Amino acid sequence: MQSQKRNKRKMKFKVNNSTCFSIFYVCLVIIFNGCNTGNYQKNTSIEKGKYLFSEDIRYAQGFKIDYYEEYTRVIINNPWQENREIYRAYYLVKTDSIEIPEEGIKVKVPLTSISVNTFSYFEFLSLLGELDKVTGVTDGSRIYNPEILNKISEGQIIDLGDPFNPNIEKTIALSPQAVINSAYAQLDNYSLRLTQAGFPIIYSLEWMENNPLARAEWIKMIAAFFEKGALADTLFNNIEERYLAVREIAYEPDTRKKVMTGDIFQGTWYVPGGDSFNAALFRDAALKYIYENNNMSGSIGLDIESILTQFGESDIWFGCEADRYSDLAAKDSKYMLLKPYKEKQIFNNHNRTTKTGGNDYFESSIAHPDLILSDIVKAAYPEKLHNYSFTYIRPLN
Amino acid sequence: MKKNSTIFALLIILLGVTFICDIFTGNATISFKEVWAALFGGSGNVIIDEIILNYRLPKALTAIISGSALSVAGLLMQTLFRNPLAGPDVLGVSAGAGLGVALLTLLSGTVLLPIIYSLGGMGQIIAAVTGASLVLILILGVSARIKDSITILVLGMIFGYVASALVTILQSFADPDSLKVFVTWTFGNLGDVTWDKMPILSILVLAGITSALLLQKALNSLLLGENYAVSTGLNTKRARILIISISAIITGTVTAFTGPIAFVGVVIPHFARAFFRTVNHKTVLPATILLGSILMLVCDIVSQLPVSNRTLPINAVSAMFGAPMIIWIVLKRKKL
Repeated sequence: MQSQKRNKRKMKFKVNNSTCFSIFYVCLVIIFNGCNTGNYQKNTSIEKGKYLFSEDIRYAQGFKIDYYEEYTRVIINNPWQENREIYRAYYLVKTDSIEIPEEGIKVKVPLTSISVNTFSYFEFLSLLGELDKVTGVTDGSRIYNPEILNKISEGQIIDLGDPFNPNIEKTIALSPQAVINSAYAQLDNYSLRLTQAGFPIIYSLEWMENNPLARAEWIKMIAAFFEKGALADTLFNNIEERYLAVREIAYEPDTRKKVMTGDIFQGTWYVPGGDSFNAALFRDAALKYIYENNNMSGSIGLDIESILTQFGESDIWFGCEADRYSDLAAKDSKYMLLKPYKEKQIFNNHNRTTKTGGNDYFESSIAHPDLILSDIVKAAYPEKLHNYSFTYIRPLN
Repeated sequence: MKKNSTIFALLIILLGVTFICDIFTGNATISFKEVWAALFGGSGNVIIDEIILNYRLPKALTAIISGSALSVAGLLMQTLFRNPLAGPDVLGVSAGAGLGVALLTLLSGTVLLPIIYSLGGMGQIIAAVTGASLVLILILGVSARIKDSITILVLGMIFGYVASALVTILQSFADPDSLKVFVTWTFGNLGDVTWDKMPILSILVLAGITSALLLQKALNSLLLGENYAVSTGLNTKRARILIISISAIITGTVTAFTGPIAFVGVVIPHFARAFFRTVNHKTVLPATILLGSILMLVCDIVSQLPVSNRTLPINAVSAMFGAPMIIWIVLKRKKL
């Protein structure tokens, strides 16, 4: 309102071009000075605690946990930087009065409520026996976990909306002790806003890990916030043991089958790079993948022609989006030229889904890499896993 | 004249009412009493204070700032180009801002841009300002050489198309997550402006609007054509460069802070002219400021109606709300 009044008063002035220019000059100076007030700080702390020991992290590169007498320090690294500088440092304390180094985020543990804005953590929390601490989620209709769905319908868990742009008012009103939010290569306004309001954001960067065991190891990261480090260790050791056992069974040095994966999306067929999560799974399942020696961790976009020429003679196809062979043929007859189509060796990830779009393949699989690997081995080499039945994947009808 | 001042008084009251409504409504259920307490002295509840004082209040202010700014920018463009379809985005400045954000958002995952991390929350804003400024420099370079305003308009649109084309190419290479981050930006969001960003946004926009108010005479002369304007002693080239700079800077600034918000800038000037039945900028400019602010506040209220957990994109709401308005005016007056 005040600005309106001021505007009206200034209306009376006469045109003066140089005034206009000088106003803008001043503003530009202000804006560029304002730009330097970024609030991200690097870790230059003097440690205030007495160091005890560090958590044993064998695969994951994105985080580390150090135990001090006064607090537990959880560090999340920045995967977009080559030297992996610190992205965030959390100091987990028992009482608020404990002093922590300035740059860190103080979190009182064990957490008693948490908003989970990324699906991958439901299974971790479930294994740790902490699923009942979840009070908020995003994209509720696309969740698979029955317990979470049940609580949403009963109103015990609040759906905060779009995971890329969750509802800020509802999050603040819910006031969870912490929020797990996926971090992208830039800071998002939701996280900034919540941080300013004093809510600790636990950045989930497990999806940047490029092998299945490394992703599963993030259970240790979240366990620290519930003081369940020892349980997480045991759980992870079991996961690792089972995964390595399946890999051992799959080992096939000479006659590896050729694999293809993905599906066409709006004209582009995205296939995983050689340094990606999926490529690692194929390697461990003793499958031959054309891009296995490529060093990309993201996706490679190909057109249908490249797929036909490069992958036409594959033995098996995972991650198809169709449910039936007839659907696939109806969508594009070029699919029929692929060898997996002719030999009926196509699998989708739709074995555990809900009607509203929930899919457990994107949810609990992070904590069960042994099961995804078993699925792939069972599909490619059924004779090696006689008594196993598919968890996440399913052959097309 | 007396009639006009009554309408202005009513509009100012309406602005106050919509402003208050905007603060009293939102996704979180907070009672009238609690909002009142939070505004005047604190409700005693940290959460409610946080939502009201640090979220709804800056959001409502941003609605006023962006609504008035985009409408003024649109009015300047319509007058300069004497084209009823011109809006704040015709110079390609919004597209330039979009290109800046696209470069940042879509490439940051693959190309190392360590600078982003040292910028805190200002990354997107700086990217948008840089993109918008580049287009502005191009436009100013062109307008120094070319006398004809329409040619500048066409070139501005071409710059806009080129920027959009580059964005499309970037999108085709981007991974799905970055793409979603970028698409979310294009929805527009009034709630992204926190108190620490507010001074920059408000000072720039206020300066822009003030300068526009100082240019009323020049704008009125331009309404009658450039030849007439020259005969009144106006330095048309200088006036043109000023009008373009002001419009581009306020559009670029608002787009940088809130994402692209369409339509308001095109519709409101027409609405203001129809409302006051005049083209005189002495009346139309302040009317545009008031109506733009009111419309944006109403859009913000509508975008948060509790139909779902999601806030509707402000960019879409403004167009859906603005379109019936302009259609109504056209039908009523049988012309623009």
